[in-house]
Amino acid sequence: MVETTNETVIEVKDFSGYYGQKVGVKDINVGFEKNKITAIIGPSGCGKSTLLRSINRMNDEIPIYKTQGKILFEGQDVYSKDIHLTHFRKKVGMVFQRPTPFPMSIYDNITFGPKLHGIKKKTDLDEIVEKSLRQASLFDEVKDDLKKSAWGLSGGQQQRLCIARALAVDPEVILLDEPTSALDPIATKHIENLVEELVTTYTIIIVTHNLAQAVRISDYMVYMFQGDLVEYGQTSSIVKQPADPRTEEYLTGKVS
Amino acid sequence: MNRDLIISTVFRIISYLAFFVVIAIFATTIIDGMRHFSLDFFIKPPLDGMSSGGIFPAILGSLYILGLTLLIAIPIGLMTGIYLSEYGRNSKLAELILTAITSLAGVPSVVYGLFGLALFSIAFGFRTSILSGSLTLAIMTLPVISSAVQEALSSIPRDIRESAYALGANKTEVIFRVLIPYAKLRILTAILIGGGRAIGETAPVLLTGAIFYSTSMPSSVFDPTMTMPTHIYYITMAYGENAQWMAKGTISVLMIFVLMLYSIAFALRKRMSKIK
Repeated sequence: MVETTNETVIEVKDFSGYYGQKVGVKDINVGFEKNKITAIIGPSGCGKSTLLRSINRMNDEIPIYKTQGKILFEGQDVYSKDIHLTHFRKKVGMVFQRPTPFPMSIYDNITFGPKLHGIKKKTDLDEIVEKSLRQASLFDEVKDDLKKSAWGLSGGQQQRLCIARALAVDPEVILLDEPTSALDPIATKHIENLVEELVTTYTIIIVTHNLAQAVRISDYMVYMFQGDLVEYGQTSSIVKQPADPRTEEYLTGKVS
Repeated sequence: MNRDLIISTVFRIISYLAFFVVIAIFATTIIDGMRHFSLDFFIKPPLDGMSSGGIFPAILGSLYILGLTLLIAIPIGLMTGIYLSEYGRNSKLAELILTAITSLAGVPSVVYGLFGLALFSIAFGFRTSILSGSLTLAIMTLPVISSAVQEALSSIPRDIRESAYALGANKTEVIFRVLIPYAKLRILTAILIGGGRAIGETAPVLLTGAIFYSTSMPSSVFDPTMTMPTHIYYITMAYGENAQWMAKGTISVLMIFVLMLYSIAFALRKRMSKIK
């Protein structure tokens, strides 16, 4: 399963993030590889969501959040002044803890992103809707209800809709922030299978509370603790033999 | 001896009482006045010293004023609410504005009337007119709408905004394409409730926009108009026994309007709780 492509899509360099005086993450150095699933794990408050949200600058809306260092996407620092935030975010999709369907039809949810980026032709949009929904393995369930409100879907379907919506703008990277924490086990399994299919086309970074999930689906693992990146490596080798005692404590359930 | 049972029974009886009062007000006023309904009542102006004819100019005048009031209050209320929730968050200025708006809601309506009289009728020279009355009522309705918009937008989960940002939307697109549609039912409910209050207001319109009698329709917003609440006031204060039926009939029509606006508001609220 693991083969090294050695192609890094996102490179985090000496990156620190602070909420006012409080450290969110500090001195992070890590690269996320193309077409791999990297799981960021660690106990609550360890900074894993902060790291993920720093990648697509989701913390911009938090006025007290300040950063140091660099996060390079395809060689360009996403925090540099030259970056076109809208174009950049189009390339990095994100899915959140709870499903976040917009108050509109399934069809309009999917076309929301493409329309922002200037796609207007009905036939193009139709095509995008079908393709994205198929990729998110939701098409067969909703193909007759595309004009119905997205709020009528089940939680698991809503989350797959959000994945489809993220795919509709044709991203290269998908960030998943605990995407199954609000779902039941069956819906969770469904999402996990989906993520494993999507990684052939996209680079995936997933934050999860669920260690078993990380072990099941990820190729690489980042273990974080109190804002530090403790360990990074192939999931199989970390699970077999963690290099750092702090990782071992987490893996064996002494810290959670 | 079960104290819980006694207390809960007392509370229940009291709450039934409140319910009964509301029903009684609506039922007696509406039903009592409906006896005077006829086609003429809705299509004719008052005739023979209010002893016959109908209240067409008052109904139309109330609708004119309600319409113009909302036309002024909705955009200003929306913009204020959006500013408070989306742009001014954590700013001292926004906090000050919010406090001012909340206080506005507690100002007695006659004070609005005098303020409107001084500012719009006299200082701006709009005299007693639909425009002066609507502007005055718009200021009264503003706090209802803007604080509802502010609350509705602020209560939208952060993930929803972020999902839109993550797709590459800018702030304006997030506000108008996601947040406003998300909050639309709550905003609409507030507009209806604000409208329901505005259509029944007497003192502010009495001082700024109403005349007691007219057979001709206002030709522009600079003309004064009859309205239902002021019509009721004039008849009960200044007319004899043979005109009182018209006040009762007008009360009935007014209450039906208010009831309709509130019913739609409650239906929307119910639908809202079903969706989320």
